[in-house]
Amino acid sequence: MAKRYVSILLLTPALLLLTIFTVGPLVYTIYLSFFDWNLISPNKTFVGLENYAELFKDQTFRRIIGQTFLYIILFIVLNTGLTYVTAYVIAHLIKSNKGFYKVAIFTPSVISLVVGSMLFLWILNPVSGPVAIVLGWFGLSIPNWTVTEGMVIVILSLIVAWKVFGYNFIVLYSGIVGIPSEIIEAAKLDKISKFRIFTDIIIPMSSSTGFYILIMTIVQGLQYVFTPIRVVTQGGPNYYSSNLIYHSYHEAFDLFNTGISAASSVITLLIFMFLLAMQFIFVERNVYYEN
Amino acid sequence: MKISHYFWHILIIVFIIIAIYPILFAVSNSFKHLNDAFTSTINLIPNPFTFENYQRLHETIPLLKITLNTFVIASIITAFKIVTSFLAAYALTYFNFRFKKTTYFLLISTIFIPFTVTMIPNYLIISHFNLIDSVWGVILPQLADAIGIFMLTQAMRNIPKPLIEAAQIDNISTFNIMKDHVLPIVRPALTSTAIWFFILAWNDYVWPLLMLRSRDSYTLPLALQLFVSSEGGTNFTVAMALSVITMAIPLILYLIFQRYIINTFSSSGIK
Repeated sequence: MAKRYVSILLLTPALLLLTIFTVGPLVYTIYLSFFDWNLISPNKTFVGLENYAELFKDQTFRRIIGQTFLYIILFIVLNTGLTYVTAYVIAHLIKSNKGFYKVAIFTPSVISLVVGSMLFLWILNPVSGPVAIVLGWFGLSIPNWTVTEGMVIVILSLIVAWKVFGYNFIVLYSGIVGIPSEIIEAAKLDKISKFRIFTDIIIPMSSSTGFYILIMTIVQGLQYVFTPIRVVTQGGPNYYSSNLIYHSYHEAFDLFNTGISAASSVITLLIFMFLLAMQFIFVERNVYYEN
Repeated sequence: MKISHYFWHILIIVFIIIAIYPILFAVSNSFKHLNDAFTSTINLIPNPFTFENYQRLHETIPLLKITLNTFVIASIITAFKIVTSFLAAYALTYFNFRFKKTTYFLLISTIFIPFTVTMIPNYLIISHFNLIDSVWGVILPQLADAIGIFMLTQAMRNIPKPLIEAAQIDNISTFNIMKDHVLPIVRPALTSTAIWFFILAWNDYVWPLLMLRSRDSYTLPLALQLFVSSEGGTNFTVAMALSVITMAIPLILYLIFQRYIINTFSSSGIK
């Protein structure tokens, strides 16, 4: 039937592009993860699961896995937790200026992360930056965070949070506004506290939006933070600001260990596919509840 | 009651200051003399006001060429992605075929693939065709992106289906249904998706970083990276000037189309 060909025709360009530049490469990266190769040499040596074994033996890599989870926790707190609360405050606890607040909060989401990294590098400069100067008035100071283990990850996550906050906020806000207002008005009349309204009504009733944001924050945050890592620290000090995404890049294009890089990417892919499965199961289960 | 009311406003205003201050910081310092930038850091009003940073920037890097590269790359990526996404979203909304749900699910799944999984093979493809350090080397792999299909499908689902089905029964061609019935209704979503694609491509860093070698083929974010140094501050105000130029176009587009963009993202939560 002619109609069927039309639908195939319409889908072809998108499917073709995704096959060539996404699915094909994905398969080839899995293949590369079983080889020892330096990106240039004409010969690849088959090593089986050696690359994976080497990664898990490597202390640096175990540290990087740990740092990746630390990033994930920070993203959840900053870009889901804090954002959720902000969306609730603007949706239900204040009445005026909402339009302006929304537009202003979203603004950094359109700005390049290279610009963001550059600006925060200067704003948080421990000697001459404005934050250091203001803290100086109170006798306080900022440590040299770009080389301070532990602190560096927090600041790099803050740079990403600065950019992502607005986007997550808009999506969560519309999820919260979608909750029938009678329910919330009734709860307010019953003198239920603002905190309980948030935890017992808002979160459960906007949970599929919330869960979507939670998952996307992890998946995109780990990739977004590549830029501040590359621009500000190059993974340092001593790989303490690196994560799985940055490590794959570093192994492939700084050290030319293609197989190790591919193996590290495949591990990242498995984590992301697990998150996708969670998302799928959660949305399937909750779609009836919310509608 | 009153006090808590002010408290919430103040909290939100603090967030807004954190969001907006870096932008003001960049604009302000880009018009300061280097000495002023370090002696009156807190003061946001440049005194005296100077254009010398922009001039020095122009003398240090091929600024016009770099801005043009960024514009050309972002425009071509936007044009291709918006057309392919629109066509695919149309097929997935208004046609019924076997494995439609599976196709949609697989397409959306590709959003969860980290860029590191595709970067080595794509690098090899581009270098095989000798496109490294070229505009097309930057553009081609980025055309594969399912997020637009997702956003436009959401918008098309809001059009009453009987309207389209009636037209299909009347044997109106697919092209005419698109042009006369679908396009006018999804135009706001299409506009904001296009603006969003443009901003994403304009800001992109990772792929240009792998592709571009010579300064003449750089994009703005890549050029900005040349000015990063946490130690020596001699380029500070020039770096601020380049930051302002890099963020100007996305900010202007956002301010013009903010209502469209915010509405589109409001409806983009997975359902």
